Amino acid sequence: MTEKKKHLVWPDLAFMEFLTAIALTIILIVWGLLANAPLLEIASPTRSENPSKAPWYFVGLQELLVYFDPWIAGVMIPAIIILCLMVIPYIDRDPHGSGEYTFSLRKLAIINFIFGFLMWLILIFIGYFLRGPNWQLYLPWESWEKVKELEENLWSLNPEIGLISLIIYFGLGMMMPKLIKKDFYKKCGFVRYVIIMLSILLMYFVPVKIFLRLVFNIKYVLVTPWFNI
Amino acid sequence: MTTDINKTGISRRSLLQIAGWGSLLVTFGITIGSILRFLYPRVLFEKPSTFNIGFPDEFKTDGSTSHRVYENWKEEQSVWVVKERNRIYAIHAKCTHLGCTPNWFAEEGIFKCPCHGSQFRGNGVNFAGPAPRPLDRFKLSIGKDGMIIVDKSRVYTFKEFEKPEAYVEV
Amino acid sequence: MKGKNLRNKITDSQIYKSVFRHTYTDTKENRTLQIKSNVFLHLHPVKIPSHAMKIRFTWCMGGITFFMFLVEVITGILLMFYYRPVPEYVYLDMKYLEFDVPFGIILRNLHRWAAHLMLVTIMLHMLRVFLTGSYKPPREFNWVIGVVLLVTTFLLSFTGYLLPWDQLAYWAITVGTNMIRAAPVIGHEGPFALLNKYNDVRFMILGGTEIGANALLRFYVLHIMALPAAAIIFMAVHFWRIRKDGGISRPL
Repeated sequence: MTEKKKHLVWPDLAFMEFLTAIALTIILIVWGLLANAPLLEIASPTRSENPSKAPWYFVGLQELLVYFDPWIAGVMIPAIIILCLMVIPYIDRDPHGSGEYTFSLRKLAIINFIFGFLMWLILIFIGYFLRGPNWQLYLPWESWEKVKELEENLWSLNPEIGLISLIIYFGLGMMMPKLIKKDFYKKCGFVRYVIIMLSILLMYFVPVKIFLRLVFNIKYVLVTPWFNI
Repeated sequence: MTTDINKTGISRRSLLQIAGWGSLLVTFGITIGSILRFLYPRVLFEKPSTFNIGFPDEFKTDGSTSHRVYENWKEEQSVWVVKERNRIYAIHAKCTHLGCTPNWFAEEGIFKCPCHGSQFRGNGVNFAGPAPRPLDRFKLSIGKDGMIIVDKSRVYTFKEFEKPEAYVEV
Repeated sequence: MKGKNLRNKITDSQIYKSVFRHTYTDTKENRTLQIKSNVFLHLHPVKIPSHAMKIRFTWCMGGITFFMFLVEVITGILLMFYYRPVPEYVYLDMKYLEFDVPFGIILRNLHRWAAHLMLVTIMLHMLRVFLTGSYKPPREFNWVIGVVLLVTTFLLSFTGYLLPWDQLAYWAITVGTNMIRAAPVIGHEGPFALLNKYNDVRFMILGGTEIGANALLRFYVLHIMALPAAAIIFMAVHFWRIRKDGGISRPL
């Protein structure tokens, strides 16, 4: 690496950190003076709030409860997200773009990461700002006084069809890059390839399921005696 | 000594090593186990699980509806007592989706959950929203004095609704 | 003249010299010593590459997250003086803090808003680290620690959410913890459930079948002791490894 121009931490960086800390303190104090932290009535186990919303950073997961059973939306999805985040450095072996902003050298990685990040934010936005009583969709200018009723005729795929379509989705997804871009598979190796493709396919399964639910009213893709997906 | 080594294939050093690491691991495991057990208290200071709701003939359907829902115990016990034509049962006032408390709308004759909009008929059977199954019911029995006792420690899910302890015949 | 004498007297004293090891005349040596002889500042190297000074590159999100943590610690310790984690008292204490304790409400507001801001900045920090590819070798493990810190921050905020013991807190945590019931195998309503509601993982976390006194105390202890301790330990490793794994991110 070529030695570039260097800055002394004292006083240059320390000064900037000091200024940042002061600016943030001012922002926080002004914010704290202008807006009070919410405090509703005392907790009452027999009277549900309507709607009951999780803390904003988990509202995205709560929003997914519309489309998935609680064991998927509340347990499997966060667990898979954490695991996938942790393995990122071990599955992305591409040495390009280490320590610099570059899009052209790491298109696949950046597109997928931004997709997941934006999905997380959009779900939070919908859950926090657009959901009213009974978790119905209320646009910001609509009054929550107006009662919206649930009118849904949901149906589920046959177990056989569901299983086959899941196999097709994951099977084809797994094969796709192997057929189109042979060197991608070779570069990754078997285990790494499986983990990469599985996590990507799982991530895109979420919007696919949301689409199926919203457009075709499908409640479950796969129904089994033990669990439903 | 050397013959011993050849017989077992384990040298004294590695045997000690195994014993040493082994006992450390066992101690560690026991410690973790007891900490986990520590987190489960033996006694719970929650409300007693049984309570009286009165005599069976105190519950009446008023004729116009097939179900009459009594809300008297909702606030205290999270229980609705429902009188059907010839049955009384106790419904748990807790949505089977994520545990919010539904509300009873007498004019419409349905329970609605405020959290995710699940709806249940007067008998607790779900017909709209994300709730996966009907509202659960509690065990009922007739006490010595002839009053109905609700036991909240025994829960019946919809597959068990026809069990004799899940309702009282009138 | 007199002021200067007094100043010299102080800076020449043994006490002063035992604390501050060097003078502050602006020399190259002192600039180096300032970092090297200070336990807090020597988190930093003496020199950093110019690009690391640019907000455009670092977004300063990691540093702000750390600053927010410090704000949380200070305001949190102060709030603890008036807070009793017992269902009978807790809501009264909240009202007391809000209406009677001098500056109580501003402290609570600071604690709340800084927590929200911290979650925003930690997520943006992760985005920045990803976009600059700063998880690539040799920094793989520090990314993993960063993910652990992210989860710890979420849990810190989540446990704190119950503590006001109002309707907002109670029902948010009810919705959140009820999802644990649906955990496969270890939750009593999930697929392949092995346990009942008196011994599943939700019971272990809440110390009961409902959110009550035990749950409040557990969330409180996690919020003020266990999770901050974990966060501090992982933060120490995180910061230390930035320097050990090649310094601030840059093309290697």
